[in-house]
Amino acid sequence: MRLDRLDRWLGIGLAALALAWLGLAFAYIPGARGEGEPGPRAFPILLGVLLFVLGVMLAAAGFGSARRRAAPAQEIEPPTRREAAVAAGTFGLLMLYAFLLEKAGFVAATPVVILLAMRGLLGLRAWLLNLSMAGGVTAVCWLVFVVLLETPLPRGSWWWLL
Amino acid sequence: MVAALIAALQPEAIAATALGSVLGLFFGSIPGLTFSMALALMLPFTFGMPAVPAMALLLGIYVGGMTGGSVSAILLGIPGTPSAAATVLDGHPMARNGQAGVALGAAVIASAFGGLFSLAVMMMLLEQVSALAIRFGPAEIFALVLFGLSTICGLAERSMVRGLVAGVLGLMLMIVGLDELDGVARLTFGTVQLQQGVNLLVAMIGLFAVPHVIAMFLDHGRGEPRRVPHGVRARLPSLAQLRQRLWLMVRCAGIGTGIGAIPGTGGPIAAFLAYDHARRFSRRGERFGEGELSGVVAPETANNAVTGGAMIPLLALGIPGDPATAVILGGLLIHGLQPGPMLFSTHIETIYALYMAIVLAYAFVLAVQLWGIRVFVRVLEVPPHLLAVCIVVLCVLGSYAIRNSTFDVYLMGVMGLLGYLLLRLRIPIAPVVLGLVLGETLERQYRTALILSEGDHRIFVDSGPALFFYALTALTVGLHLLSVRHARRR
Repeated sequence: MRLDRLDRWLGIGLAALALAWLGLAFAYIPGARGEGEPGPRAFPILLGVLLFVLGVMLAAAGFGSARRRAAPAQEIEPPTRREAAVAAGTFGLLMLYAFLLEKAGFVAATPVVILLAMRGLLGLRAWLLNLSMAGGVTAVCWLVFVVLLETPLPRGSWWWLL
Repeated sequence: MVAALIAALQPEAIAATALGSVLGLFFGSIPGLTFSMALALMLPFTFGMPAVPAMALLLGIYVGGMTGGSVSAILLGIPGTPSAAATVLDGHPMARNGQAGVALGAAVIASAFGGLFSLAVMMMLLEQVSALAIRFGPAEIFALVLFGLSTICGLAERSMVRGLVAGVLGLMLMIVGLDELDGVARLTFGTVQLQQGVNLLVAMIGLFAVPHVIAMFLDHGRGEPRRVPHGVRARLPSLAQLRQRLWLMVRCAGIGTGIGAIPGTGGPIAAFLAYDHARRFSRRGERFGEGELSGVVAPETANNAVTGGAMIPLLALGIPGDPATAVILGGLLIHGLQPGPMLFSTHIETIYALYMAIVLAYAFVLAVQLWGIRVFVRVLEVPPHLLAVCIVVLCVLGSYAIRNSTFDVYLMGVMGLLGYLLLRLRIPIAPVVLGLVLGETLERQYRTALILSEGDHRIFVDSGPALFFYALTALTVGLHLLSVRHARRR
């Protein structure tokens, strides 16, 4: 993808985000109560306007450099399918970890997530390595954070099912 | 002073400093991991500690991280941190010439010298700078914070507009939650958890660590595993070698301290400036790039001297110059150490104890690098993808431990995705953090000033210090624009 094209779309996207932000700010944040006091809405509106201006500047720069074509356009690498899958997978893994942490607790959630990361995201088939990582990291974290640093970690809420 | 010494030498504080130094060395030396990430990950675990050991842990990470970058720079030719990029130029050729031990030894001595030199300068200047700040009202503090935000220029990498977009996004994230002055919920959409706002640490863990984890997962299976030279042992340079370079070290420490004190500049600029300075004024300038010892000493002195310099605006004015000092600022605030003039009247013992913790951290770093280097280089052989799995667990534990809330873990994941998307769109992450850190003070002071002046905006331009900070802001932006134009012409 060409950089000027990215600038154009990014600029348009940011301007749209700024307009949505301004709409939300006007709809949900009350204005000033007294005279001379800017109120809680002033700063969000200022930021929305700033983002809109920056978005327009970025889009204009993208359109401008496309029109000039003085220098060869800079190419940027679009994300590959693998990259998109790894990014989505990492995000999904973090969401799953948060969910399991609350429901099953740290001791049950951590090995599951590590095994999923090793097998699913990294494609490692060495089960001995995978299992020792899952067990080892969980045990070390438990020892360091719970026993040594006395950090309260979640125990989960699914235990009543047993 | 004696009470501070006792506080710094408590077993808990010594252990925290040692742990921090080793963690910093670990994160600093492994390419792809950053000590800013280590700071963000460890900060939540300091909540239960007293202030001195907690801050000693963070300062140990900062000091160790800045020094650790040189290990992989010398042995692998890959800088562990951006600050060590200049060290590669002569450090790696020295390792190829069979002088890895001398290069590592010189790097650690230079690092300790630079760090301690800047600590001495910091101790001399801090109280004077903060004594000036005691006279500041809301308008002056607003101007000062605006100057702090102008450092976005330095953090904006390639495009200033993109840097500003990142800064504004950080400020927008800061808006969410209960408004401090009016008690009004802003953009929380009825969510109770969002009323406390986007936690700074949760955001930092997500923004810094998750994109790195994704990159490390992606790198798995690409290229050859790292080959680390075996049997490496750091050797101290001879006294004659050190004496020859003493004046160079003093000059480079001065460069590093000065650069560090300017928010938004940081280690890489100081290291390259010092390297260039050493090459230009050396009688053996032509040997630079082929394994010249001064080419290791100069950047390592300067990048470590940045630590003390960066602490001056941080402790005296509450202005962090880079992501690492932004996390340290978070640590100070969490432990009730509000930076600024009052810090020296209310917590002087703690501050002196922290000075001593920095000295101790350098002693630990020196010991680990000199005697433990053979074990330590094994760390470089740990496959990065396995480290990435451990970092996922640490990210989740760290963000949970802040408020014992799984909502924060979800939020950290969302912040991580945001960080990844921003990087893909070539928007730098550091200004987002700066916006988050400074935004609250900027808005509070702006509104307080207007309440005091009954809505009259002239309050912002009525005082000399405020005008001085506006001039500095304009100068910072102007100089950045000039350097961008100069770079484009070249």
